[in-house]
Amino acid sequence: MEMIGRYVYAVTKRLPEAQRKDVADELSGLIEDMLEERVQGREITEEDVEGVLLELGHPRTLARKYRGSKKYVIGPELYDLYMLVLKIGLISAVSVFTIIFMIQVILNPMNILDYFVNFIVSFVTIIPTVIGWTTLGFALVEYFGAGKLEHIHLDKGWKPSSLAAVPDPKRQIKRSEPIAGIMFYVLIMVILAFSNDYFGIWIFQDGEFSGIVPFLNEESYGLFLLLILIVFGFGIVKECLKFMYEKWTFSLVGFTAIVNLISIALILFMITSVQFWNPYFMNELVQHGFVNGGSDDFETVRIIWEQSTFWILIFLMFGLVWDIVAGFMKVRKAK
Amino acid sequence: MSDAHEHIDKLMQELRRGTITIGALSQLYEPQYGYSLVTTLKEKGVQVEPGTLYPLLRRLEKQGVLESKWDTNETRPRKYYVLSQTGKEVFDLLRKEWQSIVESMNNLMRERGE
Repeated sequence: MEMIGRYVYAVTKRLPEAQRKDVADELSGLIEDMLEERVQGREITEEDVEGVLLELGHPRTLARKYRGSKKYVIGPELYDLYMLVLKIGLISAVSVFTIIFMIQVILNPMNILDYFVNFIVSFVTIIPTVIGWTTLGFALVEYFGAGKLEHIHLDKGWKPSSLAAVPDPKRQIKRSEPIAGIMFYVLIMVILAFSNDYFGIWIFQDGEFSGIVPFLNEESYGLFLLLILIVFGFGIVKECLKFMYEKWTFSLVGFTAIVNLISIALILFMITSVQFWNPYFMNELVQHGFVNGGSDDFETVRIIWEQSTFWILIFLMFGLVWDIVAGFMKVRKAK
Repeated sequence: MSDAHEHIDKLMQELRRGTITIGALSQLYEPQYGYSLVTTLKEKGVQVEPGTLYPLLRRLEKQGVLESKWDTNETRPRKYYVLSQTGKEVFDLLRKEWQSIVESMNNLMRERGE
């Protein structure tokens, strides 16, 4: 008889707290009824109990029937998006540490074995990390959004007229385009965040690497890094918008324009700030013997260095403005 | 031959799944507890596992088609289910739908039988 209690417990422990007591009472009643019918008045034996419980089936199966709805870590509504984000994440991660590995090998070919070991190790550590965090994020959305997600995808109120137009090839944004964009941004962000030291002029003396003269001011880099990451973050937002819209529309051009204007403002603020660039750039070049102080070469490099801020600004702004104009033209052309 | 059996098993499972609800509802104008319903249905030729029927009854109760009451006067407490007002309306409509399905299906079956 004690086995009945164990069976009932095994079923109800898999059910929501609120239902447990009621289901337990009902289930115990059922088992007793079934036993009664089975023995027809004679003494109940252990075999009878076992027979009845076998007839009811595995507690897990029964509990599943009581719960009704299927349970998902990541349900069908989110699955496609989850796979997409996971792919982007994994490809970005792999490209980042491949590039880091290559840079390290170029800088210091003697240590290639060490770097290679690190490279392999990063596969083992970083890939599970990416998978883990992505899955955790989506699982949380699934858990807290459980009821609401179904409503989003209810096919109620669907009309054939609400079908999206077959994309005009001129306006269409290929799926690969924003994905490549996002990967590019992630890559640059990671490189800037972890290897700012490599961002500069690489000095080789007698064919051997002797150091780097960084472009950026290392002392104030932390603050600017934050701003840079924000700018790239905006870039990723922009690519995500492109991805969602799937084609150029006026509202998408509007969004990209806003994102680009914010980026331009932030870049303008950073690049024109005195602390942004390496103040000792020219001196360090001379120290490394890249140019000789006072020579014509020195003057040329100095002029390039001082003018570069201006030109970088022009190019960046041109690029971002072009982005807006091109989008706008694509919308117009298709009309 | 065993292949045909496999198909039949699957198809019958689907067919039963659809008819159990309507079968159970049909017997619940008067209050019944789960196991008595299993017995009634069995007597009338409808086999249903208690492990399927009990969860189904709870689900129908949650949807508001059935109402339930614990009866503690007997030797052991039992939960009795009965059609709610909505449930009666639902079942009346369902009965008509069922009749029309049976008619159409019978027609279809006859065509092949000739």
